[in-house]
Order: sequence, then C-alpha cells, then structure tokens
Amino acid sequence: MDTKPPSYRHTTRLFLVIGIALVLAVIVRSQLVPESFGEIGHYRADAIEEATQFELRHLGREACAECHDDIVDLHAKDAHARVPCESCHGAGAKHVAAEGDGEIHRPEGKQVCLICHRMLAARPGEFAQIDVEAHFAFVGVEDPQTLCVDCHSPHEPLFMDRDLRQARLHPLIHRCRDCHIGRTDDTLPRPEGHPAIFECDYCHAEVAAGFAERPHNGVRCTACHLFFKETESAGRILRDSDPRFCLLCHRDAPFRSDDAPPGIDWPDHRETMAEDDNDLDKRCIDCHQDRIHPLQTRTAAAGEE
Amino acid sequence: MDFVFPNEQNVTWTVMIVLYPYITGLVAGAFIVSSLYHVFGRVELKAVARFSLASAFVFLLFAPLPLLMHLGQPQRAFNIMITPNFNSAMAGFGFIYTAYLIVVVMEIWFVMRHSFIARARGSGPIAWLCRVILLGNLHEDDSTRAADHKIAKFLAGLGIPMACLLHGYVGFLFGSLKANPWWSTPLMFVIFIFSAIVSGIAVLIFHYMIVARLNGWKLDQPCVRSMTKYLWGFMIIAVSLELLELMSIAYKQTEEWEVLDMLIREKLWISYVILQYLVFSLIPFFLLGINSLFNLRDRITNAMVWTAATMLLVQVLLMRWNVVVGGQLVSKSMRGFTDYFPGLWEKEGIAVAVVIFTLPFGILWVFNKIVPLFPDAVSRD
Amino acid sequence: MGDKRNTSRREMLKLMAAGSALLVFPIGPLLASEERQHGNGAKGPYWAYAIDTARCIGCCACMRGCRDENDVPEDVFRTWVERYRIGMDGEVRVDVATSIDHIFEPIEGDVANAFFVPKLCNHCEKSVCNQVCPVGAAFNTPDGVALVDQEHCIGCGYCVQACPYGSRFINPHTHMANKCTFCYHRITRGLAPACVHSCPREVRIYGDLNDPKSKLSILLRQRSYRLLKPELGTHPKCYYLGLGREVV
Repeated sequence: MDTKPPSYRHTTRLFLVIGIALVLAVIVRSQLVPESFGEIGHYRADAIEEATQFELRHLGREACAECHDDIVDLHAKDAHARVPCESCHGAGAKHVAAEGDGEIHRPEGKQVCLICHRMLAARPGEFAQIDVEAHFAFVGVEDPQTLCVDCHSPHEPLFMDRDLRQARLHPLIHRCRDCHIGRTDDTLPRPEGHPAIFECDYCHAEVAAGFAERPHNGVRCTACHLFFKETESAGRILRDSDPRFCLLCHRDAPFRSDDAPPGIDWPDHRETMAEDDNDLDKRCIDCHQDRIHPLQTRTAAAGEE
Repeated sequence: MDFVFPNEQNVTWTVMIVLYPYITGLVAGAFIVSSLYHVFGRVELKAVARFSLASAFVFLLFAPLPLLMHLGQPQRAFNIMITPNFNSAMAGFGFIYTAYLIVVVMEIWFVMRHSFIARARGSGPIAWLCRVILLGNLHEDDSTRAADHKIAKFLAGLGIPMACLLHGYVGFLFGSLKANPWWSTPLMFVIFIFSAIVSGIAVLIFHYMIVARLNGWKLDQPCVRSMTKYLWGFMIIAVSLELLELMSIAYKQTEEWEVLDMLIREKLWISYVILQYLVFSLIPFFLLGINSLFNLRDRITNAMVWTAATMLLVQVLLMRWNVVVGGQLVSKSMRGFTDYFPGLWEKEGIAVAVVIFTLPFGILWVFNKIVPLFPDAVSRD
Repeated sequence: MGDKRNTSRREMLKLMAAGSALLVFPIGPLLASEERQHGNGAKGPYWAYAIDTARCIGCCACMRGCRDENDVPEDVFRTWVERYRIGMDGEVRVDVATSIDHIFEPIEGDVANAFFVPKLCNHCEKSVCNQVCPVGAAFNTPDGVALVDQEHCIGCGYCVQACPYGSRFINPHTHMANKCTFCYHRITRGLAPACVHSCPREVRIYGDLNDPKSKLSILLRQRSYRLLKPELGTHPKCYYLGLGREVV
C-alpha cells in the first residue's frame, strides 16, 4: 500500500509520555510501600506488633479473686472448679474497670444451666446431664417452674466438703451411655447374656448388701458418690458428708411434692434434736448413718482426716 | 444435606464479580475481532474493525469498576500494585490490566491517528482535545501512515496474548482454588478465553446492527456473514469445552461429583442446564449454524444472527453467573448449599450492575462523536 | 513406605554429615531438628491447638468468649461448634451453632454416634489464604499464627474463597477479611486464647510445638489425632484428638 519508507519521528512524543509515566509510576510506587513491609516476609512486619495491642477483655480468676475471694474459694473446691468465672459471667474487664459497678453478666433462668447440663446424645457420657423431668421426679419437685438455683448454688453446686481434686482416684465407673453411645438414659434394662460389668458390689459387697436393706435402696450409688472421669481408666470418687448435700434431696421446700424424699426443716431440725451444744455441729450422717449403709471397717470419725 | 459452615451463609463474591469477568470477556473478544482485521488481514471485517477496537477500549475502561464496587477498602486498591504478592493469581491484575490498557490506547492512537488529525484541524473543545491526544504533533504524510500501520499491526498482534492473559487469568484465579470443587479445574483458563471471544463477537454484532438500524445504514453483509461464522465456530469450541469439563467430572464420579451433581440438579438446574445450555446455547447454535451453512436472504440472516448474538450475550453472562455464584453455593463442608440472589438497590446489587454495564455504551457514543467509528458506513437508501 | 527402605542410606548420610560437621561446628542442633515431630525448629514458640472433641459438651462458651474478647460482629464466626450425629443407617447429619445464644436441643431418633466438634482457624503452616492474598495483607507470623493486616487489607475476599475450612469472613463493619487471631494479644502476654480460657471442659489445648515439654507436644505424642482436609496440603495446625472420620 504505502510505498514510502515509514517514518517514526511522530511517535517519539507518545513513547516519551508513556516512558515518563511509567518511570513516575515506579518511583511513586516505591515511595508508597509501607515502612516495615518485607522485613520478615511479604507483609508489614509492624502488623505483628499491632496485633498484640488489642485490649484484654477476659482477665481470669485471679482478677475476680481480688474482690470475690470468698466465692472464688468456694468455687475452686466444688464440681464447677474447672469452669472459669468468665465462662458464665462473660468477660470481666469492663466490670473491673468500673470497679465492680455493674457491667457483668448475671445469668438467670433454668436454660442457662441447661446450656451445659441438658441431656444430649452428643454429650460425653461422663458429663453430668439432666433430664429435667426425670430429675424433678427423683427429688420430688412438683413445681415445674422451680429453678436449678433453688437447690444448687452455681458456685457450690454440690456442697462438697472437700476439694474435688483431693478426692481419691477410683477405677472407672461405667455408665450404660459409655458403650451405648447416643442413649440419653442410664437405666437401660440389662438383657440376658449382657457382658459382666465391673459393679460396685464386686468390691463393696457388704456395703451394697446393707444398702439394699435400708430406706435409700433404689438410689444409685453414684447419686451420692459422684464420679468424675479423669483419664481413660480412672476418675475421682466423692464422699460427701456436708449436710447441705443431703438437703439437696431432703430439704423441706414448698416446691416439693408429698411423695418426695422426707423433707427436713434445716437447721431447725438440728436445734430441736440437740441435747447439748456439741450436737449443734452434727451432720446428718452423724445420727442417720444407719439409714444409708453400714460403714465397712472404719467409723465415721476414723474416716475423716 | 444442609450443613453449611456458619461463615458461608453470606456469599462473598457477588454479582459484581460476575460482571467483572463478563466485561473483560467482552474486551478480549472485541479486541480479537479487531486483530483479525489488523493482523490476520480478514478484510471482510473492516466495517467493524475500528468499532471493535473502540468497544474493547471502553469496556476495558469500565472493567475495574465492578471490582472497586466490590472491594471492602477501594481506597487501598493500589496496594495490589504497591505490594503485589506474586504468589497470588490476583496480584497480576494491576500489571496485566495496566499493560493491556497501554497497548489498547496505543493501538487506538495509531489506528485512528488519521481521524484524530482531521478532527484536530478544526476549532472548538473537541479539536483541542484531539490536539492533546495527538500530543501536539499534527504532521502526517505517507511515511507516517506507513509507520502507524506497522506499529498498529504489531500492537494488534501483541494485544492478542495480552487479551488472553487479562481474561484467562480470571479463569485461572477461579480454576486454581483447590478449596472449591466447582471451580478447581485447569480447563477454567481456556473456557474463560473462548467464552470471552464468543461474548466479544456477539456484542459487536448486537451493537453494530442496532447502531446501523438507528442511523439508517446499510449493513455490511459480507462482514455480518463472516462474523456469523466466527461466532458459530468459537461458540462451538466454548460450549464443547464447558461440556467437556462437566462430562469429565461427571464421568469420573469422584467424591466431589456427589455434591456437584446435587448442585446442578437442585441449585443450578434452571440457570445452568435449562437456560445456559438448552435455551441460550442450543438455539444460537442452530441459528448460527443455518446461516453459516446456507445462504439465506439478508433480512432473514440478519434477524436470526442478531437474535443468536443477543442470546449468546446472555449465555456468557449466565455462564459467568453459574461459575462465580454456583461455586459459592456449595459449602466447603461438601454437605450443604447456601443461597444467593442479589438485591436490586444494594451496593453490589442489580441496579448498580446495570448502570456499570450501560456506561461503556454511552462512552462509545461519545467516542463516535470525536472520531467516527464507522467511516465507511453507507446509507440504506 | 519409602522411609524404611531409605533408612540405612539416610543414616549413612546423617553420619557423614555429622562427621564432616564435627570438623566445623557442634552437631547438637542438627540432630535435634531430626527428632522434631512438630514445630518449625525456630527459636521462639510455634503455636498450635489440640482439640479433644470427646470432651466437648457443646455449651458454646468458646464462641461467647471469642466474641467478648475480639468484638466479632454477629453472623460471622471466628470459632463455632458443630454437632455431628451419625445415624444407625450411617447417615451423617450436622447442625451448627449459628449464634452465641445457641442452645443445642435434643433431637429424636436413634444415633450410632454423636459428638460435638469445635472449629476455628487451623493456622495452617502452608496457608492457602496467605498464598492468594494479592497485597500481602494475610500472613503467618514467625510464631505460626495466621493474621490479617487490618491496615493493608483491601477486602477482595479472595482469601475467604481460598480457605477450605470456612474460617475466614468479611467483617461487615470494617469490610476487611477477618478471622481467628489465636488471640495474639493474649498469647503474646502469656495468657490463653479466649476460647481456651472460657472452655469449662478443657476441650481446647493450646501450646508451643517447639517446646517438647509443652502439654500440647506431650499430648500429640501420646494421643492419635486427625487433621482436617490434609489432602489439600495446607498443613493445618489444629490437631483433633481421636476425631471421627466423618468430620470435614
């Protein structure tokens, strides 16, 4: 088409403009790279330091103990020992900053307890789970509106008279659920030919036999001798003689039905029954041991440290 | 089958990310049509050569807009060029886009220099603008024209791999995500390029015919027939590749197929199977095929081809939708699906998408006011 | 498989290396790195989690703790709890706690197995999210924590797409990518991450993989564990102790 040799002189300005623009872009770009970028890797090294600057919200048990040492102490020995305060009460930083003036979550209602303790197939068998209906039937609670906290203090749910961590190690106590995964009850009928299970009366035959003859017969051993699984083969077993523990079943309360376990008006009962001042320190089992089971070899006194 | 990770309840990549590859696809396709004329000497495409180049340019201008609309921190968009992480497929965007924009602008400069000079010789703001574009040098003779022609040809050639790169990288970006079974395939790169060419040719036919009718021009019939054949050929390749991809995962019956099968049957049945394949691929296939194989009367050909082109525009949009959104509907748990449909008025909604898609056509109209895109158009009478 | 066959050759090489190394520098560190199971062999800590799902009771205290500690907006999650229920027919059904007030309700029907699985960012050794971040805003700290630079992120969402675990999200308030930070502000002050801190059952154990005496390292030597989606090559650092194969 074009016979004349091409002339490129008119393109110099274009290439010059593009060239200058590119050089400028490179210079501007190099100026815009953030200061600490690339010091460690392909990122802003300062971002690491910045990530550490976020304020703390959960302060831990020690912070709570500064004011609430009584509750923290109670809490530390009971079944909820491993539940951090802030697990139920929410992060405490605001509360501490306000020097205790509000700003803390105070959970209310039965549902709050059931967040953890509702009977669910997916929950591990050894974890304490409540089927509210069955539990109310067992302790004779008539009024369905009764709250968990009407009997159990969340800070001291079982009124243990000794530190859980000091309770003795005991071989694993199996529940039906440990093998029958997904079942939510622990009172499955035992079919013929069921493999033998390591039962309480294998070792504690005398106690178990005696127990069967007494009024508590029908209550499972682990209802009182709470078992906390600790490893695959062992756990801690509890022996609780705090009167308030007995009262979890035997308290004389308005929400209890007539066929509930006999209600005791505490501490009036102790005062009316006391013969002298020494009797005012007595615990339930000091008088009513024979209603539970025979003590095997040791007396109640010898059993205590 | 309703297990969705809780963070997957909201779809992250919205209709904007559907629009972005759609627009870059139009760029790539339109540019390749112009290169067919400039590089490969398909003279029958001369009628749309400038128009296609200008179309590529205006769509390219608007390609980043949906991305900016989508970014959470658009003011930091340039970080992608300031501290690019070249381990990431996305980091290439800034550089590929800039390089390609420079190539397209230069290509326009060289191809249309003659027209710019003609406009610059007059007076008024447009002439002044043209003088700025020409950088003040209005000299022109046979030797500069020869130079312009040579450089334009070179740039048009260079632009083809770059167009493929700009668009193919989007496909690669999806195809390389191992976490997503619907995206993760090396074919994605190729599928995106061929569907891009289809959409590019389709938008040129669609737009050219409308412009010709509005202005009362006579259509350049050999050009239309040529584009018809190209469109038919490329759509066959594009759809075959898409089907190949689908068939290979379906036939292999891997673990992923279980969830993808359900995705297709339950979530994408209408948009993917019915619309994308059965309606908007099959009908254009026959319409274009008939016109590629038989010589029908011009009026009938034009009506059929325009219909097919318009349908293929929708087909490619559906394909982008089914890829981008479809892939996000599958939970990474492989055990459930989430849902998404854009709202009309939200920031990344349908209205914004329509505006973004319409703007390039407006700019093209302005472009035509400065430099005629159809210098050889003849009136129908 | 190849390990056994190559042992003798490797031993030889090791001996040779040790022999030549003796000439120039002490060989202690060389041998020590050979014995290392986990960790990155660097000087400082290398943080990781172990999750003992068999202990989880699904109370979601971790989710509440995380939210309180890190101002995580609603509807997005840095950590969450899933409940797996495997039916007698083998069908796997999963429901997820989708709010911090979520209470898992009892579901009727027999199950062959059921358990809870707490999830969080795996802080992968070879994170896909870091790889795909176009601007270098997603990174792993030298002590093994995957973080997002909140001053640099452009909010493109590519990392959200790339994470195979659904651990990332776009924060609806800041419009940037966000995720579990391993409570970096806590662990660097010697405190447990909020989810670990809040857990009443010691389900989550965090620790230093570089310290062979850390509780975590000991657990990983004693117990069998599973990683999530190991086939993706992300090398996650959340070790799920005794986890069922159904979990994804």
